[in-house]
Amino acid sequence: MTLQAGRNYREEASKGLDNDCLQKSLKKLQNNFGKGAMEYWASMTDSGLRDRAKNTRMETLANLDVVLSTLAENVEKAGGHVYFAKTAEDAVNYCLRVAAKNDVETVVKSKSMTSAEIGLDAALKGSDIEVLETDLGEYIIQLAEDQASHTIAPCIHLNRSQIGRLFEEKLAVALHRRYPPNLPDCQKSTLRHKMLDADMGITGCNIACAETGRISLVSNEGNIRMVTTMPRVHVALMGLERVAATMEDHQGLLQLLTQGAALQKLSTYVSFAGGKRLAGDPDGPEEFHLVVIDNGRSKILGDNAFREVLACIRCGACLNICPVYGRIGGHAYLSPYSGPVGAVVSPLLFGINQYADLCKGESLCGACLDICPVKIDLPRMLLELRYKLAYGDRKWQTRKHDRGEALVFKLWRISIAAGPLYRLALRCGYWMQRPLFGRKSLLSILPGPAKRWCADRDMPSLAGEPFSRRWKKRHGKGRTQHGVKDG
Amino acid sequence: MDEKDLFLADIRKSLGYSAQDARTTQECASLFASADDAAVLERIQYRTHVEKQALLKILQENAEKINLDVQPVKSLADAATRIVEIVEKAEPEFGHTKQLIQHDDTVLAKLQLWKRFSGKAVQVHTAYAVDSQVREKSIASYVGLTAPRWAVAESATIVELGEPGRPRSTSLVPSVHIALIHLKDVLAELSEVYAMLRQQPPEHSCLFISGPSKTAEIEAHMVHGAHGPRQVHLVVVDEQLKEAEGLRGSGLFSS
Repeated sequence: MTLQAGRNYREEASKGLDNDCLQKSLKKLQNNFGKGAMEYWASMTDSGLRDRAKNTRMETLANLDVVLSTLAENVEKAGGHVYFAKTAEDAVNYCLRVAAKNDVETVVKSKSMTSAEIGLDAALKGSDIEVLETDLGEYIIQLAEDQASHTIAPCIHLNRSQIGRLFEEKLAVALHRRYPPNLPDCQKSTLRHKMLDADMGITGCNIACAETGRISLVSNEGNIRMVTTMPRVHVALMGLERVAATMEDHQGLLQLLTQGAALQKLSTYVSFAGGKRLAGDPDGPEEFHLVVIDNGRSKILGDNAFREVLACIRCGACLNICPVYGRIGGHAYLSPYSGPVGAVVSPLLFGINQYADLCKGESLCGACLDICPVKIDLPRMLLELRYKLAYGDRKWQTRKHDRGEALVFKLWRISIAAGPLYRLALRCGYWMQRPLFGRKSLLSILPGPAKRWCADRDMPSLAGEPFSRRWKKRHGKGRTQHGVKDG
Repeated sequence: MDEKDLFLADIRKSLGYSAQDARTTQECASLFASADDAAVLERIQYRTHVEKQALLKILQENAEKINLDVQPVKSLADAATRIVEIVEKAEPEFGHTKQLIQHDDTVLAKLQLWKRFSGKAVQVHTAYAVDSQVREKSIASYVGLTAPRWAVAESATIVELGEPGRPRSTSLVPSVHIALIHLKDVLAELSEVYAMLRQQPPEHSCLFISGPSKTAEIEAHMVHGAHGPRQVHLVVVDEQLKEAEGLRGSGLFSS
């Protein structure tokens, strides 16, 4: 996958900031779910659950070869098929082969970021197969030919009247009122017979369980159950890391997932799928295919600095607290994976050079680490990515991102290490800035290469009296043993 | 080597193991160690009736938060009366005929709903394994009646195990889902369900249902009945129920 054509971080972020509807929704989302999750973690009775879950996630990753082959064995035992896809193309081609073999004309999908990652929809449509999203948010995004902007609430950047207008245009319906309860009903009546009659259902996979050979899927709408119950064929796509070894591990992760995502003890539906319809079974798919996808993940697995990001259970909690995501929204991340976790995972999957802006845009405040149900240290990995961009890295093929910036920092390092030189530079800087600043303390426009720096923020002026001198004046020789005198 | 072997070899290489030699579960035995369920199973087995009634209270409280209607009743006859009330109150969402489909279950059969609805415009279907038209009947029905395996107090969850005679679609396609359960099958928390499932792994499908289908995609406005049922009623039979408690219900749909 390449950068979403013709779009860039800076422009999409600006658009996000200017979208009033998005700003309102993000504020509400973060106030409810972000704060709510933090309160829940602080008050949960089993306070060790998150640490235990993190440990088992890491142990599972460290033995992923065994866990995946056990999973495959058990899925096959239940009559399912497992395909291991090295690349996105492999996965797409496999799905097309399954569709062709079963004479599939209509595919119903439930929200799957992996399917967006591998570009499955376009390939299916290219084979003259009708593809319909069934999750309400994803359905709206599909109708609008837009991009999802949140992991579990894909259309939070649209309001009721925009969605109402879209339905009236695309579905040729006359809505009595563009009132939220009318809109899901409108989708339901349009989609219901499609879901009942579709030939193939495609889903993602929240957490597979190796021991039982079952994949589990969570949903509130019930669309995932429709997609996995009514069509003849069920294809589930999973990134190679989305697996737990045992039922016990599964339980902990499931509860953390639904709490982290939406503060639910359990989502409305948790379905355990896998295997084909058995003799006498009244419904369920006649064929089940599990597609396990690598597409760059084994490289992440092999790098100790980044392996931890594969412990992610895609609950989206970090989006609900991140101050950067909370302003710019999901489109700026230029990938199906947005928010802080997207800022780490997208560069690693799709190219650090191309996605350089993402890790630089994050604030490193640490909120994503605090809220993560499995305590993934995203800030550390954001720094790691920045390091690779600053100094270049052969394994990840990063080039030094900004040589000018590197030079400035080098000079900074030399001058700050030499005390008198640094003070002299500050003094010179102070006098040189005077014509620019005059009596102002903040400047919005700077000349030359510094112009871009001021595009998004103001430049504070250098103080006439540097901090070191003020410190000396105030505390003078009165340093105590601990360094600072009281008061 | 096929694509699976190559794929797993890449993973082994990433993890620092030899790419050629496949490893087995014995090499990470602690990861696959089975949970010790003895204590949990014993707790379930020896739970007293009073404790179970306390669980029902918790179930009712948690159910109310997610708009799951819980109706305790004293007998199967009372359960049938409640079900008839619910069915008569609900209006078909698609089409105009009133049809109900129920799982092929001995307890549900004892309700003899066909008798209750004789002379009324409600048709009762049973999802017999031999019936090739179960799918069509489910789609035509506006009420689905099931007999779930367990209910969980902690999260107000109904656990359905699918098998011949118990289609998954009964609790999904109709607009109203009614589940009938005996108090003895109410468990305290999810870990008890997992322990029971480990004892006897379900061969067919397994499903957790916590309340009616819902969506909050549009301006975070909660709407029930997105793709699944818009109402879910759980009727709990408890022969030792005191009359006053039976009538109270959880308030949401009780008369």
